[in-house]
Amino acid sequence: MEFPVIVASVIVVSLYVNLGIALYGIFARPSLVKKLLAITILSDTANAFAVLVGYRWPRTGTPQPPVLMNTTDYNESIKYYVEHAVDPLPQALVLTAIVIGLAVTLFIAFIIIQYYRLHGTVDVRKTKALSR
Amino acid sequence: MKKSEICVIVSIIIFIFSLAYITSLGGLGYLPPVDVRKLAQIYLSSTYNPFEPTNTSSGYESVTAIVWDFRGLDTFFETAVFYGAIIASIAVYRGVEIDTRKKPIGMSPIAKTVTRLSTVLIPTVAASIAFHGHLTPGGGFQAGSVATVVIVLIVMVFGLRKVILKGLTKPKILLLRSLGLIGIGLTAIGLVLAGLVIGVNAYIFQNQAKPIARISYPMWVDDILVGGSLLLFNLFEFIAVTAGFALVLMLFSIEEEEVRKVIK
Repeated sequence: MEFPVIVASVIVVSLYVNLGIALYGIFARPSLVKKLLAITILSDTANAFAVLVGYRWPRTGTPQPPVLMNTTDYNESIKYYVEHAVDPLPQALVLTAIVIGLAVTLFIAFIIIQYYRLHGTVDVRKTKALSR
Repeated sequence: MKKSEICVIVSIIIFIFSLAYITSLGGLGYLPPVDVRKLAQIYLSSTYNPFEPTNTSSGYESVTAIVWDFRGLDTFFETAVFYGAIIASIAVYRGVEIDTRKKPIGMSPIAKTVTRLSTVLIPTVAASIAFHGHLTPGGGFQAGSVATVVIVLIVMVFGLRKVILKGLTKPKILLLRSLGLIGIGLTAIGLVLAGLVIGVNAYIFQNQAKPIARISYPMWVDDILVGGSLLLFNLFEFIAVTAGFALVLMLFSIEEEEVRKVIK
């Protein structure tokens, strides 16, 4: 097995483990804070997956970041760039997803703090008992 | 361990193994891929292409070109979602007053001195990330996140009351944030307004000239690649993200007893 394939396999397996941990946190943990932590792990896993799918290992040479670096001979450098640069689209989507994710996470954190102030707990089981 | 919890764990394991099996069968394609998709090749070849002047963006960095040029409208609405989350956070804290007559609580003089140095260094790095966004990895979002660090440092080390006494109040940050968003909007319709004045066709989120819209933002100024609208978008997004995050993180550091006064 080639080196890039081994590395990609290890990354995929660890991302699936992360996904499992995140889903467990969201479904099984009663604390809202732990649910929030699990949601952030889930979003980071999804982002890492998107970047991994956009990665490439070209037939010749090594992968290049999506930045045009050689600006002396545009004809040659653009050709080389298209053949070696990784996919910039997932990176662009992930970039905005991270910032929006942070803002939404902050909002959820606000809601959880407010929830604690009103109910005195962040345990969803106890809140269910309170509502009866 | 309860039965329901075991059920959840078993279901998650089955789900994860099914996904892993689909991936091993090639659900995501060959990993890592040898080639990028056709769409990515088009984006890469037209990020900066002097041979196709009506098809090019205006920076060396493909991610910024996609974020603010090829898919600019997407990013605009994503920024709107970002603002929605910030506004919702502010709404939760509506009516909370900070008593500035109390003594500000701060940290040691060593921490204060280090923070004073950082207040110059960190915004400098953030500004370089924003201004170089069309040339090197970076842009308005990243620069805004970096610059927020300095606001958090100041609030933690000098205390929130000190920051408010110095004049960094909620309405002023809100104004700054709104200016950032208005700047993004005006940059997006800048060429349309210019086109109306001089009587030529132009589109929203247009950066460089197109076959039926022959006006464009300046790409080069004195041998310096300024990136047309990319530089302006990055700059305004930098201001907007910094102000938005600074506001929310300042709300986070309000003392508990002051918030409790509002909750009945």
